[in-house]
Amino acid sequence: MAHHEPLDPAVYKSQVSAVWKATIWLTVITVVEVVAAIIYMEMYEAGEGPRLLLNGFFVVMSLLKAFFIVGEFMHMRYEKRALVLTVLVPTVFLIWFIIAFLWEGSAWLNARTFWEVIG
Amino acid sequence: MASDTLHAASADEQWGGGRSPFNVSYGKLMMWYFLLSDAFTFSALLISYGTIRFMSPTWADPNEVFNGMPFIENANLPLGFVSIMTFILILSSVFVVRAVQEGHMMNKAGVVKWMFLGILGGAAFLGCQAWEWTHLIHGADHGHGMTLYRNTFGAPSSFGQLFFLITGFHGFHVFSGVVLNIIICIQAAAGVFERRGHYEMVEKIGLYWHFVDLVWVFVFLCFYLL
Repeated sequence: MAHHEPLDPAVYKSQVSAVWKATIWLTVITVVEVVAAIIYMEMYEAGEGPRLLLNGFFVVMSLLKAFFIVGEFMHMRYEKRALVLTVLVPTVFLIWFIIAFLWEGSAWLNARTFWEVIG
Repeated sequence: MASDTLHAASADEQWGGGRSPFNVSYGKLMMWYFLLSDAFTFSALLISYGTIRFMSPTWADPNEVFNGMPFIENANLPLGFVSIMTFILILSSVFVVRAVQEGHMMNKAGVVKWMFLGILGGAAFLGCQAWEWTHLIHGADHGHGMTLYRNTFGAPSSFGQLFFLITGFHGFHVFSGVVLNIIICIQAAAGVFERRGHYEMVEKIGLYWHFVDLVWVFVFLCFYLL
C-alpha cells in the first residue's frame, strides 16, 4: 500500500469531536439504564410491576449503544454501503434465533411444570 | 439507455478488479467478517442463557447478586461496580479510537500515548473482573458464594455456570485484546508503521477492541439489567 498523506486537519478535528460526542452519549445511556433499574427496584417488589416495559427499554437503549460503538468507534457509518450490508444483513438471522429459543425455553418450563418434574 | 450504460461502466469500474469495491484493504475486510462470526458465537452463548433462564422456575435477581463494591464491607450498591467497569471499557475503546485518528495524522507519539492509555483501561477492566469473580466465589460475608455447582441466590446452578462461562469468554477476549494492543503499541513506538507509511494495523486491532466493548454492552444487558 502506498504511503499515506496526513489527514486534512479540519476533517481530523471534526472526527475527534464526533468521537467525544459518542462517548458522552454512551456514558449518559449507561447511567440512565442503571438509574432506571434502581428506581424500578425501589418502586416495586421483586417479581412485580411492568417488567416487560422496563426490559424493552433496556433492549432499545442497548441497541442504541451498539449503534454508537459500531457506527462511530468502528467507523461503520463512513464505510461503503455494500460493506455495511454484507456485515449487517446476516445478523437478521439472530431475530429468529432469539424468538425460537426463548419459545423453546418457555415450552420446556410448561412441560416440566405440567408433568410435575419440578415443584 | 444512457443511464444504463453509465451504471454498467461504474459497476465494471468498481468490480472489474485491481481495486477494492468496498474501498478497504483485504485485511480490514476480513477483520469485519471475523468479528461477524465472533458475534454469532457470543449470540449463541447469550441466547442459550436466555433459553435456560426461560425454562427455569426461579432465577437470580441481579440487583441482589451484583451489589458488592471493593473496599466497602457488606456494601449494598446494586449495579454500582459493574457501571464503573462498563465506563472503564468504554473509555478504553475511546482511547484506541484516538490512537487510530492520530495514526491517520501520521503522529507516532500520539498513537503510542493513546494506545498506552487504551492498554491501561483494558488491564483495569480485567482487574475489576478478577475482583468481581473472587467476590462472587467467596461470598459477601466470607460464607458460601457462587460456584459452578451451587449459589445462594435461589437460582439453579446453571446461573453460575452461564455467568462464569460467558463473562469468562468475554474476559478472555479482553485479555487477547490487551496483548494485541501491547504488540501494536510497541511496534508503533519502534517506528514499524512509520516506515511502512501507514498505521492501518492500528485500525484493524482497533476494530477488534471496539468489538469487545460491543459484546460487553450485551453481556451487561443480559446478566445485569434484564
